[in-house]
Amino acid sequence: MTDVTVASKRRGSTWLILPGVVWMALFMVVPILMICYVSFWTQTTFNISPTPTLASWKQFFSSDTYTGALWTTVRIWLIVLAMTFIIGYPTALFVGLFVKSKTLSTVLLVICVIPFWTSFLIRVLAWRPMLGKEGAINIILQKLHIISQPIEVLLFTELSVVIGMTQIYCVFMVGPIAFMLGRIDRNIIEAARDLGAGFGRIFWKIIFPLSLPGVVVGAIFVSVMVLGEFATSGALSGRKVNLLGNIIVTQVGSLKWAMASVTGVILTVVMGMVIAAFLRIVDLKQEL
Amino acid sequence: MATQAEIFRIDGVSKSYGGVKALDGVTLEAGVNEYLSLLGPSGSGKTTLLRVIAGFEAPDSGRVFFQGRDVTHLPAHERGIGFVFQNFALFPHLTVRQNVAFGMANGVEKVAEAEIAERTQSVIDMVGLTGMEDRGVEQISGGQRQRVALARTLVMHPKLVLLDEPLGALDANLRGRMRNELRAIRERMGVTFLHVTGSETEALAMGDRVVVLDRGQIIQSGTPDDVYSTPASPAVAHFLNRFNLFEGSLSGGNFTGPFGAVAAPTARRASEDVYAIRYDRVRVVPAASKVTGPALTARYVASEYLGSSVMNFFETADGKVVEVEHHLSLGAPETYEARQNYLLTWEPDQAIVFGREGK
Amino acid sequence: MESRVLKPILAVYVVAFILFLYGPFFVLTIISFQQGPDGGPQFPITEWSLYWYKQIFGLTPPSRIAPLPVGEALVRSLILAFMTMVTATVLGVMSAQAFRRKFRGSTFVFYMIVLGMMVPGVLTGLGTSLLANNVIGITRHWYTTAFATHVAYTYPFAFLVMLAILNRFDASVEEAAWSLGVKPWTTFRKVTFPLIFPGVLSAMLFAFTLSLDEFPRSLFAAGGSEDQTLPLAIYGTFSVEIHPNIFAFGVLTTLFSFALLSVYGILMAMSVRRARKLAMQEDIA
Repeated sequence: MTDVTVASKRRGSTWLILPGVVWMALFMVVPILMICYVSFWTQTTFNISPTPTLASWKQFFSSDTYTGALWTTVRIWLIVLAMTFIIGYPTALFVGLFVKSKTLSTVLLVICVIPFWTSFLIRVLAWRPMLGKEGAINIILQKLHIISQPIEVLLFTELSVVIGMTQIYCVFMVGPIAFMLGRIDRNIIEAARDLGAGFGRIFWKIIFPLSLPGVVVGAIFVSVMVLGEFATSGALSGRKVNLLGNIIVTQVGSLKWAMASVTGVILTVVMGMVIAAFLRIVDLKQEL
Repeated sequence: MATQAEIFRIDGVSKSYGGVKALDGVTLEAGVNEYLSLLGPSGSGKTTLLRVIAGFEAPDSGRVFFQGRDVTHLPAHERGIGFVFQNFALFPHLTVRQNVAFGMANGVEKVAEAEIAERTQSVIDMVGLTGMEDRGVEQISGGQRQRVALARTLVMHPKLVLLDEPLGALDANLRGRMRNELRAIRERMGVTFLHVTGSETEALAMGDRVVVLDRGQIIQSGTPDDVYSTPASPAVAHFLNRFNLFEGSLSGGNFTGPFGAVAAPTARRASEDVYAIRYDRVRVVPAASKVTGPALTARYVASEYLGSSVMNFFETADGKVVEVEHHLSLGAPETYEARQNYLLTWEPDQAIVFGREGK
Repeated sequence: MESRVLKPILAVYVVAFILFLYGPFFVLTIISFQQGPDGGPQFPITEWSLYWYKQIFGLTPPSRIAPLPVGEALVRSLILAFMTMVTATVLGVMSAQAFRRKFRGSTFVFYMIVLGMMVPGVLTGLGTSLLANNVIGITRHWYTTAFATHVAYTYPFAFLVMLAILNRFDASVEEAAWSLGVKPWTTFRKVTFPLIFPGVLSAMLFAFTLSLDEFPRSLFAAGGSEDQTLPLAIYGTFSVEIHPNIFAFGVLTTLFSFALLSVYGILMAMSVRRARKLAMQEDIA
């Protein structure tokens, strides 16, 4: 009897949470399980049948194209992650810590977000006239007489993919770090300064550790997006850089569902390991 | 008062949060039209008790009765018990009038528009907010918010109103005025108030009956005079903030403390031996004086002027602070010399003694 | 002391950072004014013109370059974004409301929902199309399978926004309403919802913009060309030759978003100023 109220309240919670859980189960969990399942199906040229086989898996690991895509994905991910952090952290430091006025820091953050109002694909595409042989960067550098010949490696190379991704994703690094830096109690820094600590010491002992959750959240955002990328690499590498995402798109395009699924499972595993590693450092639920 | 009909009763109510007992078998009842003060330090479970009665929390065990009916498992909105929050919890998006009318306009029982308007206006007038009806509640002062919170509750004609430290968010000046108004309003409305407070002055001043809660248990219940002059335990005496308490030992009708051995024939039973003497019962004499009875050497530290009295602070050799209150109605205060020793003494029969040997 | 040196350096750095962010957009804007229909999407600008803008609105004579196939796609995208916004926000508010009480498995459910924004669109897109295409055997459409994936993607954002709002929500106003005899559902409608409405609005904004620009999920989960959303239509131009019309279109959509944002900002500033004015009057009185 005593539990009647408790039980009815619990039932209320269940009804509130159920629709969302069901939706996520049906349209996220089941699809991902589906990928695992179909990766063991038998693929023929025009058809696919649910007879279990390891053929597609064997094919993936025996082909340089596929394993190469895996390593390219990991390499591009690591480079872009490092670049977004290196480029984003000083900005976050300025916005979150050095700007005293709340209005100014909000304005700066809004300025960072405004480019997102342009369609993602158009933003990617805009790098072409920027980086091309007759692109803006080459024209400016030539006008300034820094170079005499246009730099050709800027576009349709791995470099252009890295530049494009860094520009598109670095704001996701800046935001969370700036947020964490903004939460630091200024009195702690003042106190440390009063005790004679220099900025370097204050930064490594106080500021950086306190901003770490922001770095991790930012790193998760960037990692998740870069690992699942295919549009930027497709548009800026001239099909020279193949990521796992590109493999999936081409395989689905030629109705090779089984191979697309194998690639999907591998992408899922990589993603899972990366997220799990980051979540070991910071409890995301706690930071909210 | 004992003849009054019972309005609510709680029976052996217990409630824990994560292994910590907030309420431990509390049994309490109140009569119709009674003003009950519930006094307790923070963490004593007094707010939990109110929330259980209101129906915001379900007790782990025990029952809650309201107007003779078991409401233990009735949701809050079906109980008809008013609640005034410490932070007032006004609806910030509504005006004063909309706040007051809220319960009638949105409640389960439909109330006619005309009646809503009439009742709202009359309660607003009663609490003295006439002319403020269309202000937003963010635009009025703390005292006015308090009145809105009260009006919003009273307009529903509840038989019982629970007040959770309702004066806690007000400044001292306003608090005094609101105390009188609360009492006046309650008498006019004929409703039972259960007023939770952490202030002993407030509890003693407001209640027909004072209930003292400590660590989830009721440790005393009685008229303010009862509680004040005969605290039931050292804990109550300590919490009333009116007694110097000394540790010592009670044996053979004598209490031995830092002031010597004193006869304590009327010692009361308690789990520890404690000697309590009211601040205003202690006399200060020069250190060289000869006194019979209790004598405690202490150094004068400081004084605090309280308006109607002066509080003098002394410190004994082992660092214990003893407070001596001098009522100004008894004459001008004496001046003491800083850091000088004095002798503190009192009439032994004015002390309250607790002990394991007590009766 | 160091900060006196460091601050200006960082300020200059931030300006450079902003230029980096906006660089492509500047280039895109310049190229959108390229001469047409013969000018290509690169420098130099042969002649400044509004040709590509006119072409988007069908104001130019037909030429060898086909107009952007964005008309119907835009309508589809707007409807899809609206459907997604409503569904994701309703789910987000409900789940966040449930999270106000501790329940068994809440950590699991939390991560399950948040996973929706973490799993790459390629994967949910691929999985959903496998499910629809190969297992259940239904045709994929923008308003069925794509809609489902869009909600699974935006609902976690709405949920997190609402969770943050409700974490700071003072529950005593709800208890006050109950103690006045108001049912929990009425209390939610009359008290809770109006108070969390700014949060609901940002959740809606999030869901709408994310869905409008969503691309990888739609690529897999939407059906054929009669199911193209706006990003799919733009992606379609990737494989063929690019013309400055796509940049002109980018400028237009950005300006449109920017106008919306400005209106929102002005409204907010006005309401803040009004509140401040009222507070000042109160101080004087």
